[in-house]
Amino acid sequence: MKTRRAVGVILLAAAAASLSSCAAMSVKPWDRDLLAQPKMRFQPLPMVHAVDNHIYFSKEGSMGGDDVSGGGCGCN
Amino acid sequence: MQLSEPTTAAAADTRVARRLRTAAAVLFASLPAIARAADSGTASDAPANQLDFSGLLYGEASRVAVIEPIAKLTHRFANGQSLSGQLGIDGITGASPTGALPSGKVTTVTSASGNVTTSAADQIPTTKFNDIRASFDADYAVPVGTLFKSTLGGHFSREKDYQSTGANAQFALDVLQRLSTITVGGGFNHDTSFPTGGTHAPFTDGTTVLTTDPQGKDVTTWMVGLSRVVTRRLLVGANVSGTNEKGYLTEPYKVLSVVDTDGYPVSTLTEKRPDTRTRKSVLGSAVYHLADDVLYLSYRRYWDDWDIRSHTIDVRYRHELGADTWWEPHVRYYAQSEARFHTWGFAQGAALPQYATSDYRLGKLNTLTLGLMYGFHLLDYPGTFTIRGEYMSQFGETHPEGAVGVQKSYSLMPGLSIGSLTAGYSIGW
Repeated sequence: MKTRRAVGVILLAAAAASLSSCAAMSVKPWDRDLLAQPKMRFQPLPMVHAVDNHIYFSKEGSMGGDDVSGGGCGCN
Repeated sequence: MQLSEPTTAAAADTRVARRLRTAAAVLFASLPAIARAADSGTASDAPANQLDFSGLLYGEASRVAVIEPIAKLTHRFANGQSLSGQLGIDGITGASPTGALPSGKVTTVTSASGNVTTSAADQIPTTKFNDIRASFDADYAVPVGTLFKSTLGGHFSREKDYQSTGANAQFALDVLQRLSTITVGGGFNHDTSFPTGGTHAPFTDGTTVLTTDPQGKDVTTWMVGLSRVVTRRLLVGANVSGTNEKGYLTEPYKVLSVVDTDGYPVSTLTEKRPDTRTRKSVLGSAVYHLADDVLYLSYRRYWDDWDIRSHTIDVRYRHELGADTWWEPHVRYYAQSEARFHTWGFAQGAALPQYATSDYRLGKLNTLTLGLMYGFHLLDYPGTFTIRGEYMSQFGETHPEGAVGVQKSYSLMPGLSIGSLTAGYSIGW
């Protein structure tokens, strides 16, 4: 229960900060040259990321976090 | 792209870079002519076609080896929609722990498929296996207007004793002057397990076949995400996701040892896991653009109703060398608690619990990953190349509480060292 409550508080705080961020409003479309670069994605190389996730899934007890695609495997 | 001139440090890397380029030229010389003839492309160029290729060599010390080539082809239509197909092949061979304890004497294990493995007295017993897994994934992305995008996906994979079929959908909406993106997604997989020799009855010696019918497992996944531009250089995101699994979740080839009062194994029993599992996780991510370099940070908190809790921290740093060439060190640390029914084994005569497993992946476990990627372009070849080497070290509870007799002197979870080499190539035209 403590974990769930902590996660809820973190998410609410993150959502509130995200939606009300004044700093972000100052990032105009013509200031997004850096953000537009492919390397500014959370995962610039999705295929390498998928390979990593497959390895971690087969060697650890946890999974998930950033994707809903991909299939099961007899490796775990 | 704002890139500085190569630095002094970058110049010092020139010799290594030249050797890597030479190696890559040999490695990729057999690529299709269409790829070599085509021009380089990036996501911002939005090429009509894109080919991504990845090859993985993976090896565990004295255990499993894997070779995995993957190819993905994406076509973008004039109306903004895109269709992609991905084909992957895994060739797997080696030895995997059975879940049994060190015997104190030389042990011979015969797998259901007839493979025979011999283990030394203080070694964790393993059994040899080999398999080939083929997988196909397809994605169809449909933008609606300039702010909304939907992606539909499908998956099919097949190996000797396992099959997985699934579909997923993901929707993304840009809001607040396109400074925030809300993502909602869901997926469903129906997996089937058909172990060699049939499915054995739980908590038996492995000779009692429960059924030869395939065992099903349904997996439902959901995710809600929010990403946000904070400054001109900083992007942050948070995802909440969950997975519900229902069906046959037991590992059909794993066993547990039963030991006498001195700790010597007298028999093995097949394991048994619950037939449902609910997983949840929260992921926080950040990408920060320095003068030229980029820092990637993420933290994941995971928990499930098997009582596994885990923390994962992942850090990557892309150091630009100029001309679309970069080094990228990678550090990842993972720590998990054990499932409530994970145990070292059974004492002879003790009452059996409702569920039990000795699979080390459900025990107390840590993983440290160190990696280094080199990304570059070749003068006479379009597209982007990457080569990455990684080292993983897994370590856990070597002397668990409750171990009996001679087992106290053995390491019941010896550390595992893993090495991998990944080569990637992307091209648009």
